[in-house]
Amino acid sequence: MPTTVWTVQRSVRTGIMCVALLALAHAAHAMPMFARKYQTSCQTCHIVFPKLNAFGEAFRLRGYRMPGETEEMIKQPPVPLGAPAYKKLWPQAVWPGEISSNVPLAVNVKLADVNTSTVNEDGTVTSIRNDLQFPQEVNIFGAGTLGEHVSYFSEVTFAENPDGSASVELEHARFDFDSPFGPEDLFHFRFGKFAPNVADGFQEMWISTDAPIDSIFNYNPIGLNGGTALGADALAPNPISLPARIRGIEGYGIIHHRALWVAGLANGVTAVPADTTGRFDGNNAKDVYARFDYKIGGMGLDGDTGGQPIPDKNWRDNSLRLGVFTYRGDASGIPYAVTTDVGTKANIEDAHFLRAGFYASVFYQDLNVFAGYLHGSDTLNTTDAVTGALIRAIEPTYHAWFTQADYLIFPWLQASGRYEAVTPADPSVQSLRIGTFNVSALVRANVKAMLEYQRDLRQGDNHSLNALLRFAF
Amino acid sequence: MKLVVALLSSVGLAIASADGGGRIEGTVKATGLPSSADAVVYVQQVPGKFPAPAKPAEMDQRSMQFIPHVLPIVVGTTIRFLNSDPTQHNVFSPDHEKYNLGTWPQGQTKDHVFGTCAKAPCTYVQLCRIHPEMEAYIVVLQNPFFAVTTSDGKYKIDNVPPGAYSLGVWHPKQKAQPKPVTVDASKPAAVDFVLAK
Repeated sequence: MPTTVWTVQRSVRTGIMCVALLALAHAAHAMPMFARKYQTSCQTCHIVFPKLNAFGEAFRLRGYRMPGETEEMIKQPPVPLGAPAYKKLWPQAVWPGEISSNVPLAVNVKLADVNTSTVNEDGTVTSIRNDLQFPQEVNIFGAGTLGEHVSYFSEVTFAENPDGSASVELEHARFDFDSPFGPEDLFHFRFGKFAPNVADGFQEMWISTDAPIDSIFNYNPIGLNGGTALGADALAPNPISLPARIRGIEGYGIIHHRALWVAGLANGVTAVPADTTGRFDGNNAKDVYARFDYKIGGMGLDGDTGGQPIPDKNWRDNSLRLGVFTYRGDASGIPYAVTTDVGTKANIEDAHFLRAGFYASVFYQDLNVFAGYLHGSDTLNTTDAVTGALIRAIEPTYHAWFTQADYLIFPWLQASGRYEAVTPADPSVQSLRIGTFNVSALVRANVKAMLEYQRDLRQGDNHSLNALLRFAF
Repeated sequence: MKLVVALLSSVGLAIASADGGGRIEGTVKATGLPSSADAVVYVQQVPGKFPAPAKPAEMDQRSMQFIPHVLPIVVGTTIRFLNSDPTQHNVFSPDHEKYNLGTWPQGQTKDHVFGTCAKAPCTYVQLCRIHPEMEAYIVVLQNPFFAVTTSDGKYKIDNVPPGAYSLGVWHPKQKAQPKPVTVDASKPAAVDFVLAK
């Protein structure tokens, strides 16, 4: 087949790019149930929420327990579901547990004034000014601990759609078993739907603008000559770049305060929309992933300070954190329907794919610079949708990276700039470049105002300027 | 709870203490806990036999709680378990010789004698099968020279026969090593403890 036949039209790419620029919903957490439990400020764990400081990262990794936590620190004592002495009666009695004394729920509400400029397929430009998306989304969180070694986290997001309908997504629902055996924090296990720790860190905990890092998490690797653009989140089944959330099982732990290990198993690509089996997994194969981090300087990943005093400005954590990660998946037997330029209907399957990368984060005084790089390879088999005959098998590769700088001007005011780039696998497609600039201000400890500008650096008519107000309670 | 402890102490003293005894006092700090109450400070061994008080000590079940939460006694003491709640309660302990006193309604009592203790302190956790969150401790000791700390950690043991002893401390969640103490009738001996996990 001539190569030109398989080239996806540029207008389609542009459309997908616009989707990415408009895709504002993403996961980021501010969970005031912990402010209530410990009677402490958001700033104990957050810089400008939801971005975590070093203490907050330790709190997260330790299963929502403060470093060196004692009963004295918990101002809302939990309700015991059995006296501790019942442990020695097991299995003749139920192992005792506990629940929080208040319902451990928190709500985040986001209001947005959206201004966008989008290039249409026919080359015209549509501009929308001051679209008051009040609200844009509402998140309800449930999180806490259930006794010594169990914690949980769940998130449901509600959003209204322009057509008047509403969407509800269960973004997270997980149970964690924290240090069930062995040295403290060396082994944690989680089950459910969650942001895998393979990426959690530069997506979830450091996220400090309203724009997701699409270059890493939203690349669509499916294409006749390899992936062409962003927009994976909007597709079903969801082709994987690096998954922002998975259904799976994960183990992780902290070694000697400084190193983080992660190993996990995920369902992988979801079933096709027309699947009638009721399953979430598109095939019987499981994806696997791993990560290793090391932190030099600053507070330990478990909150250990080595006996040294911590800075009085609790966002400062002069340190360098380096990490490597990999994710291997199998999407064999999961068809992605495509249509060629000449109208031929075909299916593409990603028989197996590999993502590998590294990232680094430097904190120095009030500045945090971090970056991630991802290399992806796929095995794409294209078959005729009618006959099933193999038309083409290719092994395309792509790479994506981003770098972001966050500078805290005042404890309540932060400026961020990010540059993202994706070099798609399809060699006929120009690389993507996205710039994001954000100013975030804490109007109150739990109320944040943002002004954010995002621009497609290749196609300047694709851009957005959004003013956002977000509050957590 | 203070009343019960005071009663126990006075009963024990009436039987066993020597005239001209001294006082041991001090503070127990429970590290990281919101209260330093419920630590039992006790003289580990005092020469002689100390008969149990004739009148039973009481542990109530009221408002779905054992009251007191911690009750030190001399070996041989009878505890009278009272149910003051409108709901039925049970009392059992999985410790040492183990016992289950059954279940009974409001206003009724059951007695249990803590007649043996091979090596003091012998701790019996008190549980209720019907309400698993209820918990209390009975601490069986060799002699009546003990006290339970108040919420600020303070304690006071009076009428201790003069001499050199080892002072121990027991707490439901934390512990500390015993400390030596010399009791002199002319002035109080001060001993502080810091408890940790």
